[in-house]
Amino acid sequence: MYGGLIIAAAALATFARVLAMMGLSIVTGWLLGYASLRSRGFESAYIPAIAVLESVPVIGFFPLVLIIFVERIGGPLGVEMAADFLVFDAVVWNIWVGIYQAFKTVPRDLEEVADNYGLGFLGKMRKLYVPYSIPRIAANLFPSFADGLFYIMASEVISVGVHTYEVFGIGTLLTGYVAGGQMAGIYYSILAIGVGVVGFMTLFRYFARASVAKYGLDTAAQIRRRERPAPRLGSSAWVTLARPMRRLSRYAASAVLASVARPVRSVSGRAPRLARAAGYAIGIAILGYIVYSSYRLIAAVPAATWSELLSDTPAMLYALAVDYGRVAVITGASFAISVLAGYYLATHVRASAIVIPAVQTIAAFPPPAYFPLIYMATYTYMDALPGGIGAEVYVFILGFLSTFYYVFFSFWMGVQSIPVEFWELMDNYRLGFWERLRRVVLPATLPYRVSGISSTVNSAWGGLMVGEYWPGVVPGRNLEVNVGLMKLLDVYVSQGYLHRAAWASLLFGAVVAVYSLLFTERLMNLSRSRYVVEEGIFAA
Amino acid sequence: MGSSPPPVLQGQDLSFSVGQRVIFDGINIETYKNELVSIIGPSGVGKSTLLRVLGMFVRPTRGRVLLHGEEVTRPTPRIALVHQSIATFPWMTALDNVKLALQGRGLSKEEMEERARRALEVVGLSGFERFYPKEMSGGMRQRVAIARALAGDPYVLLMDEPFVHLDELTAERLRREIYDILFSEGSTLESVVLVSHNLNEVVELSDRVYAMRGSPARIVGELTIELERPRNQYNPIFSEYVSELYSMLSIGE
Repeated sequence: MYGGLIIAAAALATFARVLAMMGLSIVTGWLLGYASLRSRGFESAYIPAIAVLESVPVIGFFPLVLIIFVERIGGPLGVEMAADFLVFDAVVWNIWVGIYQAFKTVPRDLEEVADNYGLGFLGKMRKLYVPYSIPRIAANLFPSFADGLFYIMASEVISVGVHTYEVFGIGTLLTGYVAGGQMAGIYYSILAIGVGVVGFMTLFRYFARASVAKYGLDTAAQIRRRERPAPRLGSSAWVTLARPMRRLSRYAASAVLASVARPVRSVSGRAPRLARAAGYAIGIAILGYIVYSSYRLIAAVPAATWSELLSDTPAMLYALAVDYGRVAVITGASFAISVLAGYYLATHVRASAIVIPAVQTIAAFPPPAYFPLIYMATYTYMDALPGGIGAEVYVFILGFLSTFYYVFFSFWMGVQSIPVEFWELMDNYRLGFWERLRRVVLPATLPYRVSGISSTVNSAWGGLMVGEYWPGVVPGRNLEVNVGLMKLLDVYVSQGYLHRAAWASLLFGAVVAVYSLLFTERLMNLSRSRYVVEEGIFAA
Repeated sequence: MGSSPPPVLQGQDLSFSVGQRVIFDGINIETYKNELVSIIGPSGVGKSTLLRVLGMFVRPTRGRVLLHGEEVTRPTPRIALVHQSIATFPWMTALDNVKLALQGRGLSKEEMEERARRALEVVGLSGFERFYPKEMSGGMRQRVAIARALAGDPYVLLMDEPFVHLDELTAERLRREIYDILFSEGSTLESVVLVSHNLNEVVELSDRVYAMRGSPARIVGELTIELERPRNQYNPIFSEYVSELYSMLSIGE
C-alpha cells in the first residue's frame, strides 16, 4: 500500500474543502437571494456584480489572493484561506445565480399563500424559498463540484518566489509524487480522486432526482418575475436524463429565458423600509470596499513601479491577444464536436442514458490530475514537432479537456429544450440534418450556447493557466509556451513579482469583463429577443 | 360501406401501449374526401396519441395507417399536424414559418415565396408576412400554423385541439372560418381529423364523430352529423347532437 491512508485522508480533505465551500455558497446564496428580493437597490448592485465577477476567471483573482491571504494573514491559516477562497470563487457563481433565479421565479400564487398566512422571513425561507431553490441548487452541484476540483488541484500548492506554500490535500500530494516521479503514488492518488468523483457524482445525481421529485413544480403556475438567464445556464445541463429533471430544465428554461423584462411587479414595493435600506447599505458597502481596496492598492505602489508596469503593458496585452486566440481555437473545436455529439445524444435517448452520466463523471475529474500521465506517454512524439508546436498541442489538450464539457452540455441542454412540437414539425416536413441544424436546432440553442460561453471561456482560461507554464510536469521536464499571459502570470508569481502579477491580472480581468459585457451580454440580449425557443409555443 | 368511395386515411386495428399499459386498442378509423372527422373522449384517453399515430409521429404497437391505400411508415407533409400548443418558430417571420413546409421540394425561391404568401392569404394574414410570432396574437399564430400546414399541399390535416389556447371570441371566429379555409378552392386537402373535448366545437365543425373511452380506450360510438352549414348552436337539433355525444361518452358512468 503506497501511503494508502495518507492518500485517502488527503483526498477527503480536498473533497471536504470543495464541499464546505459549496455549502457556504448555498447558505450565502439564500441570504443574498432573499436580500435581492426585498430590495431593488441591493438587487441592482448584486446582479451586475455577479455578472462582472463571474466573467473574470478564477485565476484572475490569484495574485490578489496571494497578497491578501498568503502575505498579509500568512501562516497555515492564510494558505488555507487562500486555497479555500479560490475554490469558493470557482463554485459560488453558479449557485448564487441559481438561487437568485429560483427566488425570482417563485410562483405568485405560492407567495400570496405565504403572505396570506403571515409567514415572516424564517417562515418564508423554510416553507417557500429554500424548498423552491433546492432543484436549482441540485442541478448546480455538478458543475460547481467539477469547477471546485479543477482549481483545488492548482491551488493547494502555491509557489511565490523561493517560498512554497501548501495545504494538506490530494493536490499537494499529487504534485509531490509527480515531482518525485513516484508512479505508484500518482496512480493511487488518481484512483482516490476517481473514487471520490464517482461517489459524489452518484450522490448528486440521486439528490438531483429526489429533489425534483419532491420540490419540482409540475404545473404551469404563473411565474411572477422573469429575469436574466443564468450566466452559466449550461450548467443546468448537468442534470441527469431523469424525466423529472428534464421537466425541471424545461420549466426552468421557460421561466428564466422567456423574457428579460424587468419584474412586472417587484416585491420591493411591499418590502419593509428597513429591509430596503439594509439592502442599499449592503450594496453600497460592497462597492465602497472595492473602491477603497483599489485606492489602497494604487496608493501603495511607488511611482517607479508604476512606470515599470506601464512599460510592461504592451507585452502583456500582446500575450493576452495570443491567449484569446488559443481560447477561440479551443472553444471552436469544442463547439464543432459538441454540435455533432450533442445532437446525436439528444436525439438518441438510449445512448444518452449511458453516455451523459459517464461524461458528467469524467467531466468532474480534474484534468490537471491526470494530464501528467498523458504528457508522459506522448512527449517524445511532441518533441519531434518543430518550434513550440508540441507545447501548443498540450495547451490545446488541457484547454479542451477543461472546456469541452461546458460547451457540450450547454448545447445538449439547448437541444433538450426544443419543444416536442418542433421535432414533430421537422419530421412532418422531412427536414434533413443540415436543414434541421440551420433552421431550428442552432437558433433554438443560441441562448444556451451564449449562456455557456462564459463558463466555457472561463474554463479555457483555467486550462491555459495550468498548461502554459508547468515546471516539472514530469520529472526533469517543463511544459512552457513561447507567449501567453497565463504563462506570464505563472512566471511572475513563481518568481515573486507579485506587483507585476497583480497588474497583469488586473488588465486581464478588465479586458475579460469588458469583453463579457460588450460581447457576451449583447449576444445574450439578441438571443433573448428572438431565439427563445419556448416562446415558439403559445399555450395561454 | 361497400358502395362508399375509397377512404382517404385509414387507421386499421391500431393499438398503442406504454410499457405494460395499453392506452388504446383495436381502433379502426376512416376518413373520406371532403370530410372533417372528429375524435372525442375524456382527457387522458389517448386522443392526441391516436392523432400522432395517424400521422406516424408515434408508431403504434399494432396496426397500420394507410393514405390512399398506401401504408404510411413515417411522418409526411401529405399528412400535416397542427398542434394544440400553437407552434411557430420565434426566429422566423410568418412567411418563413410557412416556407418551412416547402423545404426540399425543389421549388425556386420565388415559387416558395409565392406559395407561402398565398397560404397566408388563405388564412387571412395578408400584410402580416414580415411579422414575427411574438408580434402576433394567439389567433394569428394559429393561422400561421394552419397556413404552414396547408402550404405543404397535404391530403390530410390532423388538428389537435387547435382552438383550446385561444380566447373564446377568437376561437369562435376561427371556428367559423376554418371549414371554408380548409376546403378552399385550390386546396389539395381531402379530409381533416380533429381531436377535441369541446362537444359544441365538434358538432359545429364535424361531418362525422368517433367517440373514444375506456381503459384501454376503444371506439365506443360513431355519429354522422347532418346539419346545414353554417351551424347554429342555438338550433335544437344542434343541442340534440351534443346530448347524443355526451351520452356516448358517459355510458356506464
